[in-house]
Amino acid sequence: MFNKKGFKLLLIVVLVALTFSAVMTTRAQDSVTVKYVLWDTNQLPAYQACADAFTAANPSIKIEIEQLGWDDYWTAITTGFISGDAPDVFTDHLAKYPEFVVLEQLVDLQPFVERDEVATDIYYPGLADLWTKDGARYGLPKDWDTVAIVYNKALVEAAGIDPATLNDLTWNPEDGGTFEQVIAQLTIDANGNNGLSPDFDKENVVQYGFTPGGMGGGYGQTEWSWLAVANGFTFNNGTWGDEYYYDDPALASTIQWMADLWLEKGYSPNLAEQQGLGRSALFQAGNIGFVVDGSWMIGTYVASDFEVGFARLPAGPNGRKSMFNGLADSIWVGSKHIEESWQWVKFLGSADCQTIVGQSGVVFPAIPDAATLSLQVRADAGVDVSAFVDQANEEGGTFLFPITDWGGEISTIMTETMDSIGLGEADAASALKDANDEVNSLFQ
Amino acid sequence: MQTAESRPFWEWPLKILVTIILIPKKFLDWAMNSEAFLGYLFILPSLIGFIAFFAYPAVRSVYISTLEWNLLTPAKHVGDDNYQFIYHDERFREALKTTVYYVLYNIPLQTLLALMIAVMMDKVHNSSFLRGIFVLPWLLPNVVVALLWLWMMDPSLGIINQALKQVGIGEQGFLGDPDQVIQSLAAINIWRHAGYTSILVFAGLKTIPKGLYEAAAIDGAGEIQKFLRITIPLLRPVLSFVLVTSVIGSFQVFDTIAITTEGGPAGSSRVILYYIYEQVFERRIHMGTASAASVVLFLILFTVTAIQMTFLRAGKSDLAEYS
Amino acid sequence: MMATLSKLQVKRFTRETTNHEPKKRISGSRILMWLFLILLLFVTIFPLYWVIRTAVTPPKKVYSEARALAPSDPTTQNIERVLGLISDEELTALVKKNPTISAGKLDFLHFVKNSCIVAGAITAGQTFFSSLAAYAFARLRFPLRNLIFYSYLGGLMVPSIVLFIPNFVLIRNMEWIGTYKGMIAPTFLMTPFAVFFMRQFFLNLNTDLEEAAKLDGATHAGIFLKIAMPLSKGPIFTLAILTFITSWNEYLWPFLVGRDEKVRVLTVALSVFRSQTPQGGPDWAGLMAGTIVAVIPTFLLFIFLGRKVVDSIQFSGFK
Repeated sequence: MFNKKGFKLLLIVVLVALTFSAVMTTRAQDSVTVKYVLWDTNQLPAYQACADAFTAANPSIKIEIEQLGWDDYWTAITTGFISGDAPDVFTDHLAKYPEFVVLEQLVDLQPFVERDEVATDIYYPGLADLWTKDGARYGLPKDWDTVAIVYNKALVEAAGIDPATLNDLTWNPEDGGTFEQVIAQLTIDANGNNGLSPDFDKENVVQYGFTPGGMGGGYGQTEWSWLAVANGFTFNNGTWGDEYYYDDPALASTIQWMADLWLEKGYSPNLAEQQGLGRSALFQAGNIGFVVDGSWMIGTYVASDFEVGFARLPAGPNGRKSMFNGLADSIWVGSKHIEESWQWVKFLGSADCQTIVGQSGVVFPAIPDAATLSLQVRADAGVDVSAFVDQANEEGGTFLFPITDWGGEISTIMTETMDSIGLGEADAASALKDANDEVNSLFQ
Repeated sequence: MQTAESRPFWEWPLKILVTIILIPKKFLDWAMNSEAFLGYLFILPSLIGFIAFFAYPAVRSVYISTLEWNLLTPAKHVGDDNYQFIYHDERFREALKTTVYYVLYNIPLQTLLALMIAVMMDKVHNSSFLRGIFVLPWLLPNVVVALLWLWMMDPSLGIINQALKQVGIGEQGFLGDPDQVIQSLAAINIWRHAGYTSILVFAGLKTIPKGLYEAAAIDGAGEIQKFLRITIPLLRPVLSFVLVTSVIGSFQVFDTIAITTEGGPAGSSRVILYYIYEQVFERRIHMGTASAASVVLFLILFTVTAIQMTFLRAGKSDLAEYS
Repeated sequence: MMATLSKLQVKRFTRETTNHEPKKRISGSRILMWLFLILLLFVTIFPLYWVIRTAVTPPKKVYSEARALAPSDPTTQNIERVLGLISDEELTALVKKNPTISAGKLDFLHFVKNSCIVAGAITAGQTFFSSLAAYAFARLRFPLRNLIFYSYLGGLMVPSIVLFIPNFVLIRNMEWIGTYKGMIAPTFLMTPFAVFFMRQFFLNLNTDLEEAAKLDGATHAGIFLKIAMPLSKGPIFTLAILTFITSWNEYLWPFLVGRDEKVRVLTVALSVFRSQTPQGGPDWAGLMAGTIVAVIPTFLLFIFLGRKVVDSIQFSGFK
């Protein structure tokens, strides 16, 4: 009795559950909605304002903005490419885009630029060209960044250093110049001796002068590129080049000088200590004199528990050099609304949108006037970030991010190599030579 | 409104219902008594799920391992090139070694701790609150656990080094030190999983009839003897389950590493799964190499599990011998 | 040492579920065990204390007081912020002042609802279908049984990363991205773990009752429903809880499939507190406050149902 009923019941449950799991519904799709993603929450309000302005002018195109944290951003983009579900337009990074070009995932914007006669010379010089290859164009610049010194005002003053003098430091890989002297002066051991004192106890440091905050892998944008290039180093034989020069002695001496800050001199926390929570966390803990960081981090530093200031990079044998890096907006080839996406990208790259972004005072837009506006907004808020802008405006003050094929593999190789130097497991000259061979073999 | 859905949702269930009602009685009588029919019926739903989401992708990845393919542009057949590549790749071999170290640090300690917690909950104090506390680490999302320990283990800002400094042991590098990173990662995952594992063991302990202990006590057996002669053998099905699944899980450690060290410093925590991940998401998309590495990992796990199952005779329970 | 014989017999034969504990003797080994237990408890609890400590630390002080056991100036602002108890204008002002904190907040009830739907559906489906299959593997004889079971077991050994791209493409082809179905589907019908888990328990089940029922002319379906299922209530319940919590904590899959606000689950919502910019740190205070909020439902579930789990396992053999 029960058995048959029970059996039927069981069958029903199984099959109904199976059916429910298989019933399909189709989602209705809006006609023209352009999906746009970015990773920085702090920029979201500005770009939302741009989107509103854009839709007001183009009522038939709606912009749907999604913000994804940096940790998940690229996984989501890559998976989107694979599954055919990527956003129409996305914020692109120089370290990532060459890969996407090889994988044929980006729309060439050049025909659109020519058709609509979009001026690409309204941006900071060089920015637009970063996104071109063989006559094709894969993005329109949206902003730029440089690096500069961020210092803890109280610590600098306590060491008897006039913060203004931080703008005029010099550096060389042999004795470190006045840059190293300031670092030493800001390093204090448990007995109160600073790094310049003969009694300095490097095993017992309570306050460090400086830290690069990691080894920086293959590009060292905020870690060593500003030193190495100031020392005469060049990454490779130009944008989209096929040969790297990581074996250059000018790089080896720079990296060794940097690693010796903690391996030999005790002026910086060691590599393990630097890598945990990162540079800004270490600095904000309040016992690091100064660090060098990028302009996109300004807001974070200003929010420290103490007063901070910004200063120019030190000048090396070859001058004062900062990497000039920029973001752009790219269109995915799989987009069903390429024309509408282009309209949006064009607007993002225009003075109209960049002025809105500049007014928010979060990043420096790619158009100089808008960047000046951003500087002004921050000055009005009592924060002087001219060190970053001056660097960008200085003749020969910047060098470009080394864009080549194989960015991902180079990162893997160089991160390992740089780490081993920073850990004291390998000396810079020989480790970099081996790594350079491996990197260059990628291009064969 | 969704316009695409015109058919009412109950149409299918209704059809099925009618069909079932109409099933002839004779067939039902036969079906209910046929072990084979019932067996297949019972496994059918799970088989569908298994084929769609496990077997098919797995078998396909064996095929992909013979391709050079980035998932986006046409694939190229390359024979065993991918296997040749990983065989000669220093990083892959290191990753294998690193993974084995990790498992060796992770599993014995975790299982032992779980066993001890379970026995203590059984012998010393048992309350659902205490169980709740021990299992709490496992209730936290993986990402949070990894970040939390990254924070506490931070060599310069972490509370653990602060404590070690206070007691005079001195500060450690933990996740930033190539010689400590694997142990540190193992510690994080032991913290997260020991309590959870102990709940499984505890459930197993509870299935042991208390009468057995009584009988042994009458025979004059001590606590330790009882533990070795009754508890351990009777826990075998549960223990073998715990060991088999946790070893497999341990070989596939990934989340914690992706969040804390990203395989560093200097590649010292690049486990196999992180190597595979790099092949797809960090480097150019090398689906073939990633698949080949996965096949190798599968074979390793298969061997390890087969050895464990034979050794632990997981399919049999000793309870039958006693009852 | 544990109980007197008569007590145990009473318990065993009358199925009495009294909470009355027999008196325990205090001995050296018991004290040692207690000490060890307390040590383990400390190690377990301290990191959880750290979650709470960080959650009440003002974001500005997160690094400057990184090594303090308690913040000098505890605040409930983070929790209010995470729960959306402070107004949008206030939040915008806070973020403007300190961009290291996330502008995100948790629409707590909404995300909890989504998490419940997803984890609940997975739990119901997976537990039921896996138990069915496990019973078949443990008790019924049919051709290819072992082959199929060992292939299931093999499924456990396939690196998840290999599965996840094809599965994602499959879900995408079904147009299930952004739906509950998409999040639920891959683990709804089975996981190798669940089948393996239940099989081990069925194997351990005393066969006497089943044999007796068979002699009485019961069918296999009847035995499963009337004897095996009730006897295994405990393990099934345990599996259900394990499955629920595992699904609740799942991150990458729901992140890829269910980012849409409508279906977003709690763990995915928590990711707004992770680092938003390259080289930026997470919003520690917000993340930890969010974690506390997110863990409360599963903790309560475990506390209330956890007793049932173990108790039902305890007595299952004698019913």
